[in-house]
Amino acid sequence: MSAGRWTLLYIVAARLLLALSLIGESLKEDHQLASPLNAYPRLREGTYLFNHGISPYSGGTFRHSPLFLPFFSWLPDSPYLNASLWTLVDCISAWALVSIWNARSGGVRSRGVLLASMYLINPYLFLPSLATSTASFDNALLLLAIKFACERRTPPCLFSLAFASQLSLPSILLLPPILLLLLSDAKSHLASPKSFSTSYSAVAPVVLEFFAYFATLTGAATIATGGWSWAANTWGAGLILPDLTPNPGLWWYFFTEMFDHFRPFFLMVFSMHLLIYVAPVCIKFQHDPLYATFILVGLIAMFKPYPTLADAGLFLTMFTLFPETYRYLRYPIVTALLHLHAFLLLPLFHHLWVGAGTGNANFFYASSLVFGVANGGAILDAIWAGLRIAVGEVGEDYAVMQE
Amino acid sequence: MHIHALIILASLIGINSATPTQEEEYHESLTLRPLRDGKVATHFAFTTLIRGAVPRAPHSLADDDVSQHYTLFPLALGQILREYAITELHLNLNAGQWDYDRWGQPGEPAVGSGAELWVWMGDGAPTSVDARWKGTQNALAGLFCTSLGGMDAQRTTSPTRAFPPAGNLPRLSAPHTHRLRHASLPAESVCTENLTPFLKLLPCPVQAGVAALLNPHRLFDADWHGLGIDVRWIAGKGVELRMTVQAVFDPVRMSSEGKRDWTLRSLFGRVIPRACPVASSSRITVDLPADGGFVLLPDPSEIYPTSVAFNLARGMEELDISMHWSQEVRFSYPLDLTSTPISAISVDRTLKGASQTHGDLALVLRNNLHTPQRVLYLETLPWYIELYLHTLSVECGHSRPYELFGNLTYTPPVPHGSPTLLQAELILPPHERVRVAARFRKSFLRYTEHPPDAQRGWDLPPAVLVPEQGARARVYTRAVLVDLATPDFSMPYNVIIMTCTLAALVFGFVFNMLTRKFVVVYVGEKKEGDARALERVERSPSKEM
Repeated sequence: MSAGRWTLLYIVAARLLLALSLIGESLKEDHQLASPLNAYPRLREGTYLFNHGISPYSGGTFRHSPLFLPFFSWLPDSPYLNASLWTLVDCISAWALVSIWNARSGGVRSRGVLLASMYLINPYLFLPSLATSTASFDNALLLLAIKFACERRTPPCLFSLAFASQLSLPSILLLPPILLLLLSDAKSHLASPKSFSTSYSAVAPVVLEFFAYFATLTGAATIATGGWSWAANTWGAGLILPDLTPNPGLWWYFFTEMFDHFRPFFLMVFSMHLLIYVAPVCIKFQHDPLYATFILVGLIAMFKPYPTLADAGLFLTMFTLFPETYRYLRYPIVTALLHLHAFLLLPLFHHLWVGAGTGNANFFYASSLVFGVANGGAILDAIWAGLRIAVGEVGEDYAVMQE
Repeated sequence: MHIHALIILASLIGINSATPTQEEEYHESLTLRPLRDGKVATHFAFTTLIRGAVPRAPHSLADDDVSQHYTLFPLALGQILREYAITELHLNLNAGQWDYDRWGQPGEPAVGSGAELWVWMGDGAPTSVDARWKGTQNALAGLFCTSLGGMDAQRTTSPTRAFPPAGNLPRLSAPHTHRLRHASLPAESVCTENLTPFLKLLPCPVQAGVAALLNPHRLFDADWHGLGIDVRWIAGKGVELRMTVQAVFDPVRMSSEGKRDWTLRSLFGRVIPRACPVASSSRITVDLPADGGFVLLPDPSEIYPTSVAFNLARGMEELDISMHWSQEVRFSYPLDLTSTPISAISVDRTLKGASQTHGDLALVLRNNLHTPQRVLYLETLPWYIELYLHTLSVECGHSRPYELFGNLTYTPPVPHGSPTLLQAELILPPHERVRVAARFRKSFLRYTEHPPDAQRGWDLPPAVLVPEQGARARVYTRAVLVDLATPDFSMPYNVIIMTCTLAALVFGFVFNMLTRKFVVVYVGEKKEGDARALERVERSPSKEM
């Protein structure tokens, strides 16, 4: 066994120990780590109601996908079991990330250990996992979908993506870049852009296949709960925002403070805003769909209705897949410091507001704005670097800019 | 001219005699109960019965109603009952917390703090039950000067198990049934403006009968006071309206010598000047305290083992009743009251936890009897308190006997919509303390949903316990205050501006980068004239596509 593998083993063991020490019990409903759509106590409430013959979707507490219900109804509510399960899920994600890297680099440069450890020790991903937030499941399914797309294994890829979209509806926005990825390859073409060459007639059957999986899962969910009420509670929540529990995103305070008569309009604007990035990013990065996926993951993490730190964590960890862009990043230090700033301020100001009662909601809102600026900075820098790399090296007396 | 008037008069009389005259009865009573802690519980009940009357059938709401004539029954209330085809109506306005352990069971069970309204009405009317429920609230709010209009869908439940009909429900043609609507406003206060319209509904308001004692200055000075309206239909008898006033006075506080002696004049500031001429019966009952040593004046008309009664007859003289303890120089307050409760169940409900995001609801029940008791536990929580039902635990002693808790019905809360309703049966072992606890989550409200005094907190309605044996008299717990996180109320524009700025910045920069061409610009020193400096090398990816 190589030193790298030992390192990974140590990391996994340390994570498992930390999870088994149950320090995550107090984090279970932390607003940064678990949103109303993926908090574990709500999941348990849903399975409890489900098992007692009360429709879990008749109220507003349970907003998880019905696909969780059969599994967690069967799984005993043991913190040790959960600790192992969530660590396993994160290991699967890390493994998927390494596979993505192998597909992209063609196995030339070995960065597997680095990538896996970047996933496993990223606090944005590690803490939600400790808090047993189902955001870890969303991330794992998304990474699996990307992994299978990179390996051009269409059915598992589309199935994983359909599953991820069931759990978290905004993930469906990743269908276009993942389709491009399925139909081209995962190799880095950032430095040598070319048009997307595959015939568009190949797209239709793949899209149909995706929607077949999606419809099957939707049907399964409907049969499992015996009705359609789940759709309004899970997917509908992202569109009408009934639960204004704070999170690190931009929606909650905006719609807490929104004038009632403008609420529907701005809900529409914010939902459309998420949609609007998909086509331009896919067109611009058609030569490298994995990069387009990466940029969209970042944009969704920033602008989705109920984000957690895990969404931003996935984006930041995916940065490690694109080492060729690093030298073209303009302000990585600033972005990193902004993230550090937000990461420290978010829990602090949250506690001051709802715990200690010495601060008000604006404190936490301000830190969520800082987090938004940090995410935005990272996304913009990634887009710049991804485009700038195509220009290549220029002499000392030259500068690259946009017209 | 005169002949015309006579004809009109005759026709009016004719119409009047054509409508069936309903026999109405009016009974009034006052019960005075000296309590162990020196206080006096008073309970007024004014009952009007329309013999042979039936509640309006819901389907008849489509037609014009028959004209209403009452001699004793209040027309203002009768109109409301007919307008919304209400079968059964219960309205209570109480202030303070009834202390079951010291005062025992109240004369009227509905003693939950604040306003409580529950109505049974049949469906099958052209307007929905909910629309009629809303109309009933607004009409009663107007009649009694209360803010009952705040009982919106967010507070309305249908706890049929804890609030079964007090009378009978007329049979409706299938598939129509009777529906219950229940809501409470724990923060609603009761005062003179509610009592004045209440008194106006009585046949003998202030001049005669026991109602003459209802002096607002004294009533609202009492330690606990409440008003109640109960309308029900009793099959074979008719529609009964029962108006009640309850108050717990503290003669020790009002006496300069610290004595518990009381008279009607000392309690109410008034005496009974004469009997109510229209009352079929009018009586005052005084429950005799167990400790003895008292003198009761004047001589009662009837004597029972634990109580005496005074009948107010026509032609009576002014009546003042007094009870004094001649041997007692000063009332010595018994110190063992809490350890020897006189109620069947002692109950305490509290919210725990300092956080504005979560808390624990704890209900501690103690069975004071020697036999096990089965009680129905009803918890109504507003939607912003989301109970985690899976954390519900029942503890008795050191064990966790789950068999003590069963037959649960639960309606989860809908955000911005409807409240939680939890009804469950509890078995209380004799002389045991049973603790029911559950964790809950506090929701975050829109800034427009907060009341003007947002920092004060939100009143949660009292929980209700209904013993399933005996008189089934409801027991109300304390109404508790819950603290919810507040947003900054001065920020709407700032938040909209700042969040939109961030979104617009990212949007702008992203599209800027995606749409503009990359160029290489010479930024070195000028060497060969301006031409070189302006040279641009276009190596944009889009060009190579």
